[in-house]
Amino acid sequence: MLKHNKNAVFLLLAALPLALLGALGSGPVSVDLSSALAEGWSGQSSDAVILWQLRLPRALLAILVGAALGMGGAAMQGMLRNPLAEPALLGVSSGAALAAVLFLYYGAAWKSGWLLQALAIGGAFSAAAAVWLLAGRGASAGRLVLAGVAINAFLSALIALALNYAPSMFAMQEVVFWLMGSLANRGWDQLFLALPFLAVGVLCLFFTRNYLRALALGEDSAASLGFQSRAYPFLILLGIASAVGGAVAVAGTIGFVGLVVPHLVRPLVRQDPARLLWISALAGALLLLLADILVINFVGAQELRIGAVTAFIGAPFFFWLILTARRGQWL
Amino acid sequence: MSAHAPRRNFFWRQLLLGAVLILTAKAQAYERIASLNLCLDQVLLNWAEPADIASLTWLSAAEQYRSLPIPEHVQLNRARAEELLPLKPDLVLAGQYGAQRAAERLQALGVNVVTIPDAYSLEQLQQQLDAFEAVLGPLPPLQKQKRALTQLLDQPTAKQRASAVILSANNITYGSGMLEHQLLQRAGFDNLASSQGLARISLEEVIALQPDLLVFYGSEQHFALAYLAARHPVLQRYIDSGRTYTLPKQLSLCPALAVVDTLQQLMDKREALVKAQ
Repeated sequence: MLKHNKNAVFLLLAALPLALLGALGSGPVSVDLSSALAEGWSGQSSDAVILWQLRLPRALLAILVGAALGMGGAAMQGMLRNPLAEPALLGVSSGAALAAVLFLYYGAAWKSGWLLQALAIGGAFSAAAAVWLLAGRGASAGRLVLAGVAINAFLSALIALALNYAPSMFAMQEVVFWLMGSLANRGWDQLFLALPFLAVGVLCLFFTRNYLRALALGEDSAASLGFQSRAYPFLILLGIASAVGGAVAVAGTIGFVGLVVPHLVRPLVRQDPARLLWISALAGALLLLLADILVINFVGAQELRIGAVTAFIGAPFFFWLILTARRGQWL
Repeated sequence: MSAHAPRRNFFWRQLLLGAVLILTAKAQAYERIASLNLCLDQVLLNWAEPADIASLTWLSAAEQYRSLPIPEHVQLNRARAEELLPLKPDLVLAGQYGAQRAAERLQALGVNVVTIPDAYSLEQLQQQLDAFEAVLGPLPPLQKQKRALTQLLDQPTAKQRASAVILSANNITYGSGMLEHQLLQRAGFDNLASSQGLARISLEEVIALQPDLLVFYGSEQHFALAYLAARHPVLQRYIDSGRTYTLPKQLSLCPALAVVDTLQQLMDKREALVKAQ
């Protein structure tokens, strides 16, 4: 079983660069990849510009955002010990999206820089805190999810309302983006804006890995193992808010990744909540990159929304997991 | 052709002229004109006597569409029949699409409603200008606009052509059959968008086509993700080298008002590009 798991992890690791190559080779224009790669970053030919300035930042952004969502989902499920917890379900994503919408559509300049990310993280943090407060201390899984659904629905409605009255000709169609996400037309500027916040999030979650391990035994056991400090849950929340908020500010709300990815890969790390963080990041990155390849190759009048594609890819796996659980195994 | 044909043609021409004159005479008498359409609002604001305007849509006062100040006495409407009836308009202008129910209701209640056709091509635009003249009369600014357009269209097309492609909001481009395409062609550009009508164009395609001129559409003052493509750093070299032109937002909202200036600017732009090359 252990060897089988290692092989699966190795396969995941090998699949990511392959998917990256697939993403770099996908697009409406046929590009000579080898000559474009040889020309390098500063190449002036169309092929080089398309590869280095359009396809590469988009693919890397898909990897980063997918990793942030996967890791955020794993951390949230570990902290709340709830298999249904995920950043989007608990309002973190919509909190970040609402903050970004208010900032972007009501007075901020185009090139707002770090402030947008900082506000998105603030929004994510506030939403998570609101869910926590609403559910109450020591809330059951059901109550927490109920609080999450309520806050999430309220924030989504606020996003739609804010966009409805936004002074933009495209305000209403952009509700769809903020609620379903998109990586279209993103460049290095967005990638570099999101990167530091994703890094801070990953760092925060790294420092809490042993707490998550201890927490798997229950809160009392974690306390007896020396993890009494309230700083740990705060650090996890900060990590999730930073990673997911940073991702949402540039790519919108992409659901399903944070929920389904930890479930898919949990058997590979033998339920270890700490190692689950890394493997979820890897699988999240792969899932979102594959979803984006589908989006790029989909021919239609409007670009397919990536949030819909992640659900299409992830849902069958989820069905399979549920059927497995019904046979009395895990989940 | 029979010998009576010229006389018959003369008769029909006289009849048409008579009809236009009757309409014109009637039009000059309109003193309470209302509009149910943003473009028609702007036409009235630009070309009609302010005192003759009774009501315009609320959009013409909205920040993102306002082009001229609204006279104080003008009532703003949301294209609802009940708002317009108490104003007792002697003419209500409606667009081809939108506010159809209000227009029908007003007509059923005996209000004089005239539908002005929309314009998506040069031919349709000329018909639209004729329709304006028929209903509003030979207003001097309207006559001036018609003359200027005819003069520009009568100019021989440039021999030394340049290439261009339009990148509008939401990665939309304009192909053959569209007014924007026709304006590019008339100004001496070959539109590289191979499609017919409206179509999607990715940034990759824009880069691969390598047009001499990159044409944006509308200057959005407020944030919209729809404009992310136009603000992508990959297009910076076009902006830095001055090989861009922005079609005015007014051209899509109300081409009758913007077509002459736009065509002239595109002609000038082509000349500058050719000289630079």
